[in-house]
Amino acid sequence: MSLAYLLRRLGAVLIVLCVVSVTVFAITAVLPGNAALMILGENASAENLAAMERQLGLDRPVVVQYFDWISGVVQGDFGTSLRLQLPVSQVVGEAFWNSMSLAVIALVAVTLIAIPMGTFAALKRGSIWDLFIGLFSYVGTALPEFVTATLLLVFFAAPSRQYLPAGGFVAPGEDLSGFFVHAILPATTLGLILMAHISRQVRSELADVLSSDFVRAARLKGIPEGRVIRRHALPNSLTPAIAVISLDIGYLLGGIIVVEEIFAWPGLGRLLIYALQNRDLPVIQAVTLLLAVVYALSNLVADIVIAKLDPRVRYA
Amino acid sequence: MPRALKSPTGLIGTVLLLIVFTAALFGPLIAPYDPQLFHVQARLQGPSREFWLGTDQYGRDLLSRLLNGAPATVLFGLGATVLGVGAGSIIGVIAGVAGGRTDSIVMRILDGMLAMPELLFTLLIVSFLGGGTAQAMLAVAVTFTPGMARISRSAVLSVRTREYVLAAQARGESQAWIVGREVLPNAVAPIIVEATIRVSFAIMIGATLGFLGLGAQPPSTEWGLMVAEARQFMFRNPWCVAVPGLAIAITAMGFNLFGDALRDVFDPKRNH
Amino acid sequence: MSALIRPVLEIHKYSLSYRTDAGEVMALKDVDLKIQKGETHALVGESGSGKSSLAWAVTRYLAENARDAGGAILLSGEDMIGKSRAELEALRGKRIAMVFQDPASSLNPTMRLGEQLAEVLIRHRGLSKAEAWKEGEAALSRTGIAKPAQMMQRFPHEASGGEKQRVVIAAAYACNPELIIFDEPTTALDILTANQILDLFVKLREETGVAALYISHDLGLVSRIADRVSVIHKGKIVETGPVEEVFHRPQDPYTRRLLAALPRPEDRLAVSAPSTDAAIFRAEGITVEYGKPGFLTRLLDKNAAAHVGARDISLKVRPGELLGIVGESGSGKSTIAKAATGLHPFAGAVEFDGRRFNRREDFDRAYRRDVQIVFQHPDASLNPRETIGGILSRPLKLYNIVPRAEVAKRVAELLEMVLLPREFAQRYPHQLSGGEKQRVAIARAFAAEPKLVICDEITAALDVSVQAAVARLLVDLQERSGAACIFITHDLNLIRQLAHRIVVMQRGELVDTFDVEEAESPERAPYTRALLDALPVPHDVTEVDHQARDFLTEGPTA
Repeated sequence: MSLAYLLRRLGAVLIVLCVVSVTVFAITAVLPGNAALMILGENASAENLAAMERQLGLDRPVVVQYFDWISGVVQGDFGTSLRLQLPVSQVVGEAFWNSMSLAVIALVAVTLIAIPMGTFAALKRGSIWDLFIGLFSYVGTALPEFVTATLLLVFFAAPSRQYLPAGGFVAPGEDLSGFFVHAILPATTLGLILMAHISRQVRSELADVLSSDFVRAARLKGIPEGRVIRRHALPNSLTPAIAVISLDIGYLLGGIIVVEEIFAWPGLGRLLIYALQNRDLPVIQAVTLLLAVVYALSNLVADIVIAKLDPRVRYA
Repeated sequence: MPRALKSPTGLIGTVLLLIVFTAALFGPLIAPYDPQLFHVQARLQGPSREFWLGTDQYGRDLLSRLLNGAPATVLFGLGATVLGVGAGSIIGVIAGVAGGRTDSIVMRILDGMLAMPELLFTLLIVSFLGGGTAQAMLAVAVTFTPGMARISRSAVLSVRTREYVLAAQARGESQAWIVGREVLPNAVAPIIVEATIRVSFAIMIGATLGFLGLGAQPPSTEWGLMVAEARQFMFRNPWCVAVPGLAIAITAMGFNLFGDALRDVFDPKRNH
Repeated sequence: MSALIRPVLEIHKYSLSYRTDAGEVMALKDVDLKIQKGETHALVGESGSGKSSLAWAVTRYLAENARDAGGAILLSGEDMIGKSRAELEALRGKRIAMVFQDPASSLNPTMRLGEQLAEVLIRHRGLSKAEAWKEGEAALSRTGIAKPAQMMQRFPHEASGGEKQRVVIAAAYACNPELIIFDEPTTALDILTANQILDLFVKLREETGVAALYISHDLGLVSRIADRVSVIHKGKIVETGPVEEVFHRPQDPYTRRLLAALPRPEDRLAVSAPSTDAAIFRAEGITVEYGKPGFLTRLLDKNAAAHVGARDISLKVRPGELLGIVGESGSGKSTIAKAATGLHPFAGAVEFDGRRFNRREDFDRAYRRDVQIVFQHPDASLNPRETIGGILSRPLKLYNIVPRAEVAKRVAELLEMVLLPREFAQRYPHQLSGGEKQRVAIARAFAAEPKLVICDEITAALDVSVQAAVARLLVDLQERSGAACIFITHDLNLIRQLAHRIVVMQRGELVDTFDVEEAESPERAPYTRALLDALPVPHDVTEVDHQARDFLTEGPTA
């Protein structure tokens, strides 16, 4: 992989993050109902509002406000939470790690299950297993997280048969097994839709590769089917699979908001809902930006992995 | 469209959509009860001959509520998609046709918007617009715009270098003719396919917003809201969460399957 | 043929069918074919003739919907049809090998070339990995690769088309198979590379004495390398025999038609040469650059530079003349067409009919009407959502060629002009064959009543017999309209039939210009000579088959 490639990708990520920061700021600053109004409520007098706007710096031009905010962000200062009266970085920090641990558990599980599942379906194309996996993937992608979560709760956490906790969180430092037990239902909810989507993509990629000219050529060289699949087909369908997974991380980060809310998982999603309900602008901005950064960086990592795996990209 | 019916996915998708559209068109007419009517004697009941799908915490008939909610749910999905696809395609087509600097600036901005998870973006917009069905629909439409713009742009780009478009350019046709007669009619297929599949996403996001209390408001029979209201009682009567939840899934699946079948019709090479 | 020597491949009354939506379709009918040791047997047919199906049948690599419908396939006397999957795996690559059309797609893009070669040796000759790599290097050097050890370490995208095909060939020969099937192994390659691969084929055949089934659409090429030839048409072998016999005394009408369609330079088709020396079209120092790097790219990559598609090209076309532009892919020949029709910006100047244009923005409607272009791919050059009538009426309306009321009548005339029925006006492009579509594209160009028609490889995507018919049609239209023509092609034999003058391009530059009579003169540039040598004139058919010739001109199949 050339340095120029890496620099170019990094440059693209930076541009994306700039646009994200502007968008986030624009939505929170330009849309009706500014922070002062939100803090003081609909009945506040015009004077109080004006005073509050001055206090928050909202009377300055939007551009100045933006640069003020972004220069703080670059230094790790996201401002002060309007509700909690704490530095946002402190509020967000712990929630961030809680969310990431949940996301990583879900993603790892999904990858470990979905790729073999898609591979199996592609190899057994037309069989009952293929049909079954196909059906599962269609049902899976049609179930919103809140429905999955609710159904899982009914089945596994009803008061009459409490196989698993219905919600809550245990820090991994205190009780590692407790942490995992509490993570099972939220991670399953998050993973189901991704598993359905990724297994379907892997199946179709692998099916394409299996009917490609070079796989035909390998078979006509008498290479045993096992090696044809392992050495010829799979490596070539892996890179598209990684690309799909990296795009699905965006979906995962969206799903995490709902899932954390339902299972009372103290992460960014739950914090975001709280901040939205309480109009805590600095927190909203920080959480949104963080999620976008995670998404952009995971795409970057995926690009680098793909470049490592696929010799054609290295020199691109 | 008969070719779409040939594949099993297309057939199932069509059947599901027929059911959903029948419910959306005639649901309120064929509902056995008033959806807001309390049957105090029969709260949180499972399916019976009287209440085919059971009742909720106030004893309201779930089937009637489901049928009454169908038009709103389907309209929400279609409305949000049409708005989002419309805006997105216009942006995408302009970027694709203009090319050069306009194109790269528009694409960078879209990339930035796409870097935000869809649901997060929707949540941000809707919470600042204030909850409600119309606001939620607008928020979903705005969220769909960058993705649709990108898809329609790439559709336009792939058509733009075809030889019949080059022939029109060489002939000295006006830009409007080239876009309107040569490019768009041939770029529209992937946009329609994507739009069909997106209806299912719109319905799912709409229901999620309803569930979070940011979309439709009580006593609406919007399906996401039905799940949210019944959650407290889900252990006593799972039917009152399962029924609307599965209805959402069936609707989303119908659009998904139908969209996939459409894709195969437009792109025969993927049939194998 | 002696019955004592058992043929390497013996196909006896073999039939193959495919199940489709339209029912059972026969792809091969009662095919008989024998190949002896050391023999090269060519199987010639056009697209859809069933020649590839036969290759799949022999290697037993059949599509899921394929069904053996009778007959036998014997490899050195062993029945292939009854073989189990394990038996086939053990036999493929060891006793039957195959070389494919496109080395770019038949090699695994994520695997080193060496490993793709070595895996055959490991599999069938039981070598260790180290031995196999060593043996692979030796095999590669036999195929004329200068630095085999380095080539082994490369990935497919790091090798040229010719190098890749050498690797595929080395793998095919690696286990000394009894039979190798060559499926159009040079079609995807450039002329010069293709010629080297053919030389390699001849050399290896002499060294190894392997039996070869050589599948091709090109009778001219086959005549150079095959001992025997079978002509296949609609799933049936219509003629089989020693190559000289089939060429000189073809028995079957279809074979005759194929032979008549081969372009032969001595068989001139061109309209009479223009008498004047004045030019209607003149390109002066045309330079075209692609993909100029942006500011950021240049900052990051000091080596980034625009790719020059054409450099300082000057040429002229006289009224009524046909100028040939010849070159390999990437030589810049199509770039000239794009610049001259305003599809790509250029530096330099174009002079047309006394007017001068320095930028493509200066091309006005009058110029665009007078200069028309026809593209290579018939499938892509017509808008799939318009009827043929709509497509043909467009230039008539755009340039006000005829009054509105007469457009429909004129469309019918245009269709008749290109020998298509007038009912085609209501059809859509996908309902037409490739040749028919190309006729429509030509009609669309001539509908504008142009003074210059630029034809960019218009026959390259067509079958041989259709190619000849389209070329004849073009000349015929040129004669009737008096238009000049720039004909861009890679086929020197064809252009020598059609052109008055020829320019040769290589890597974006013009390397040679000559009158067609001077083609074989010793003054030709070395590159021109190399191209001429690489594409020998096909065997002379002692007597031109007039009946077949007439058939082509009528062209109902085209």
